[in-house]
Amino acid sequence: MSFRGRLADVAIVGVGSTQQARRLGTTSLHASLEAAKAALADAGLTKDDVDGIAARWPGPGGTVFQPGSADWAGLLGIHVDWIGDSYPQGVPAVLDAAAAISAGLCETVLITGGQAGVMEAEAGKVAKYTRPANEFVEPYGSFTSTQFALVAQRYLHRFPEARGAMAEVAATIRNTGSANPEAVMHGRGPYTAQDVLDAPKVVDPFTRLDLCLANEGAAALVLTTVERARACRAAPVVVLGGGMEWMRQQYVDPPRYEEVRTVGAKAARRAFSMCGLGPEDVDAFQLYDVNSYEVLRQFEAVGLCGEGEAGELVRERGIGVDGGLPTCTDGGVLSFSHIGWGAPTLKIIEGVRQIRGEAGHRQVEGAEVVLAAGAGAGAQYHNVVLLGPDR
Amino acid sequence: MSGVDVAERPRPEPSDLTRPFWEAAREHRLVRQVCDACGRGFFTPQIACPRCLSTAWTWTPSTGRGTVYSATVVHRAPYPGFTSPYHVVMVDLEEDWTMLSNLVGTGEAPVAIGSAVEVDWLELEDEITLPVFRPADEGSGR
Repeated sequence: MSFRGRLADVAIVGVGSTQQARRLGTTSLHASLEAAKAALADAGLTKDDVDGIAARWPGPGGTVFQPGSADWAGLLGIHVDWIGDSYPQGVPAVLDAAAAISAGLCETVLITGGQAGVMEAEAGKVAKYTRPANEFVEPYGSFTSTQFALVAQRYLHRFPEARGAMAEVAATIRNTGSANPEAVMHGRGPYTAQDVLDAPKVVDPFTRLDLCLANEGAAALVLTTVERARACRAAPVVVLGGGMEWMRQQYVDPPRYEEVRTVGAKAARRAFSMCGLGPEDVDAFQLYDVNSYEVLRQFEAVGLCGEGEAGELVRERGIGVDGGLPTCTDGGVLSFSHIGWGAPTLKIIEGVRQIRGEAGHRQVEGAEVVLAAGAGAGAQYHNVVLLGPDR
Repeated sequence: MSGVDVAERPRPEPSDLTRPFWEAAREHRLVRQVCDACGRGFFTPQIACPRCLSTAWTWTPSTGRGTVYSATVVHRAPYPGFTSPYHVVMVDLEEDWTMLSNLVGTGEAPVAIGSAVEVDWLELEDEITLPVFRPADEGSGR
């Protein structure tokens, strides 16, 4: 029995997002609704076309009952046939929705989420979702970047020369975001690798410029069958393949480098095997750039090079928009935006815009196959989706 | 002591499963679960052995001696309770188990992977003692 190609019966037909900013003067729910309306308008569909939702419910209101996405059916005034409270959004929500659509459980799924009106209370602390509330973690002052740092420190112990490449990765992605008018960090920079190394230290080996943002905004997607998508406003972007991998709950047991360095490799192999493609066929990499080390690690995990070779890979081929390996072409979570559990959806949106040829000044010429990813070694889970044109 | 701000430090909130770990720590004993069926030691606490799923296991003392598996220095504390910089380490204990902790009793310079360490005790209040680690004394025999 083979399920190959089934995800490819599903396409992304709508993408939408709010302004991304340090602070938005609104709520997570208002922002998520605004993004949802934008995604439906982008698809040329209405809420009455939606029969599946993966959105959870940020409150206020709702109930203690799950799934939270059912609260969205109430808000939108629609009756739905499928609900998925996928965590996080981005790749898992797209794959859950595509699986449901291809299995015939529903036809058109809305994914939306983000955060707004929450960061003010976090002033002077790292964002709440980066503080693991666990009795064997929190008393030791280990936050999410610390867990990634413990992996990166092992990597650098073996491959010390990679620190320079990490700094180049951070500078390049931040410079890509600096040139993007929609990025939170638009106009900041340009940065050199030395600027990254000289920035204030946060947690060794990371400086402030090695680490991603925490800000506000929302992002939404609409998925439907390829057949139906062909009648929609924009060209369909097909879900070519995908895969997900979880090792254990994130941020409880600390990550061991030897175990987590390849998390996502199996997910990537699964994704590539669904469509008969390989990592060299990818035209743009929307990797999950929560820190500069993760970008190197993910190039190794998706199979573009061996362990310890990613520094040389990115230096030789380049990861800028016009490089050999265009990466995080909107500026990534390092510079474009990071909106909590909705952030991975931004990776999908940028992938869709690249494949549609709508990315403007940051368009990767001839972009057809885009890889989007979520999470990383410190989180001990990782997932991958491959997107491409309908042909 | 570098990195310690005892008053504000987040307290662990033990569950029925984990309370014996914290009660032992209060008596300055470092323990982890060891499976009665297969002998596997495991941490963080689970209701069953992650190797053989036996629910018969025993809280078993550790020597508290180990080596640094990975280490980082936090220069910007994420929340109150810590004075930067401070050390976060993963320690591989002698009995083949691992815990996340803080390294104390050393300077601000990063500690080398592979360094020998031994358990120390940070008293947060009467009820809670936090196991932390410090560089091992040469030939202390502890």
